Amino acid sequence: MTPKLGAYAGLAALALLAALATRRPELVVVAAPFALAAATGLLLARRPGLDAAVELSAERKLEGEEVDVRVALFAAVGAERVEVLLQLPRELVMQDGKNPVQVRLADGERREFTYRLRCERWGAYRVGRVYVRTHDWFGLFRRELVLDRRVPLKVYPSEENVRNVLRPLETQVFVGNHVARQKGEGIEFADLRPFVPGDRIRHVNWRASARRGELWINEHHAERNADVVILLDSFAEARRGDRSTLDPALRAAGTLAARYLREKDRVGFVTFGGILNWLLPTTGAVQLYRIVDAMLDTQIVLSYAWRDISTVPRRTLPPQALVLALTPLIDDRSEAALLDLRGRGFDLVVIEISPLSLLPEPSGEAGELADRLLRLHREAVRGRFERAGIPVAVWGDETSLAAALEEVSAYRRRARAASA
Amino acid sequence: MTTAAAALIAAAAVVAYSDLSSERLPAVIGSVGGAGGALMAFALATRWRSVFPFGLVLVGASYGGFLGVRNGAVDEWAPAVAAALFVAAELGFWSLERSPSRSEVVVLLRRIAGIAAGAIVTALVGSLVLVVATGASGGVGLEAAGVAAAVLAVAAIASLASRASV
Repeated sequence: MTPKLGAYAGLAALALLAALATRRPELVVVAAPFALAAATGLLLARRPGLDAAVELSAERKLEGEEVDVRVALFAAVGAERVEVLLQLPRELVMQDGKNPVQVRLADGERREFTYRLRCERWGAYRVGRVYVRTHDWFGLFRRELVLDRRVPLKVYPSEENVRNVLRPLETQVFVGNHVARQKGEGIEFADLRPFVPGDRIRHVNWRASARRGELWINEHHAERNADVVILLDSFAEARRGDRSTLDPALRAAGTLAARYLREKDRVGFVTFGGILNWLLPTTGAVQLYRIVDAMLDTQIVLSYAWRDISTVPRRTLPPQALVLALTPLIDDRSEAALLDLRGRGFDLVVIEISPLSLLPEPSGEAGELADRLLRLHREAVRGRFERAGIPVAVWGDETSLAAALEEVSAYRRRARAASA
Repeated sequence: MTTAAAALIAAAAVVAYSDLSSERLPAVIGSVGGAGGALMAFALATRWRSVFPFGLVLVGASYGGFLGVRNGAVDEWAPAVAAALFVAAELGFWSLERSPSRSEVVVLLRRIAGIAAGAIVTALVGSLVLVVATGASGGVGLEAAGVAAAVLAVAAIASLASRASV
């Protein structure tokens, strides 16, 4: 019941009493519309019967893409004015469609509303909570109901543009796309050797054999796959407004996982932080969906518990795996864990998601000093990593992920040349 | 905004009619009506719903005052005044609705048509009431019916108030 009903009834009663007191029929005339509206409203009042169905044009979308939401409203018992509001998370921004909207629904009528949403940020959402408010003809009664018809919508992080991924130092025994150091079946030429019984004729190098007067055989590098573990540091994040170091980290994780899986590698995923999550390395497109779904559950949980690498299940980190650590290098625990990982002989690469662009401009002497100290501390951490033989690539606003990976490749090439 | 302005114009029309047509105490009638209009404007500006009806009451009171100081003749413009008050009330409550919803054109047109129809029905019913009232000879029976109507109206208010408090 709205205050309007009380006001109309009060006005009518007051005017009628005044009419009686003053014996003026004109005041009855003044009272009449309010009394009639209140009485008619009371007589015609009924409870609307509404139901809704919500449908998405797609259950999975990438960041920045658009998705259509169709809300169908059925009215077994209609109402003169129906306000419809589709509740939306902040990360889904309305591009097209009126929300909220006020419509009329007759008895038995079905209306469909289409909204076009832009997925601003990755995440697992549930869309479809519809708030409905109905009004009768005179606006004397108002009813509100919530129709919870939520359906899941997964918004995956958008992919970074990466042409070449890092080549693992060690390959595994299964067939893949990486040229192994070992010799075996493949197409990449490795060496020449004299013929031994059992060698296939098609491997004979006829030119070398003619020159040397005996049969020589071409040897090839085997083509194998590799184990890659993407380790996401979720101890802490730097955040400013809607921007966070976690977002580019997840975009990089998704991109790298997709690229390595395309190369037939086994890819695992570990979220190392307040909450430890892991996915055992395996191959195939299904693994990509598993990884991306695991990424959507990733969140920064504040924890003071000291956690080292021994808490990660052993099978998650297979020997000779390439471990790609995505970290903002904010928390000492992740630094210690990464150094520990390197100490255990893993082929570790650190991709630093620089939080510096998220910091406010330093103001005052103390602010500038703090800024310098922070930068020096980060340099010192990088220095410790490099002394341990861990390449560190800084990925920030100024560089692309591809450039950061290329930097690591160059570092590894230089390191190989130096060791040779 | 448009509905609020229209509501104030309708109320101002009632006050202006009462004030200009009054032969006695026009300053008092104008003051009461002016206070009512100001209260309505204040309620509409601050979106204070509970204050708005008091503004309407004061605007109605200015018309009541005009009728009180008037000699015995029935005011034949009463149906128009009632219609104007009803339109002012409807438009005022419309503008007080705190709804961010964008209405469809059909809904808007139906609502405007409904208010217009209400005003026309008010004028017609008012004319009928005036005809009946001036034609009736009066008497104890009619007076009793009037008292009963007023008691029923008060009972209806009490009933509504109890429903609202539940």
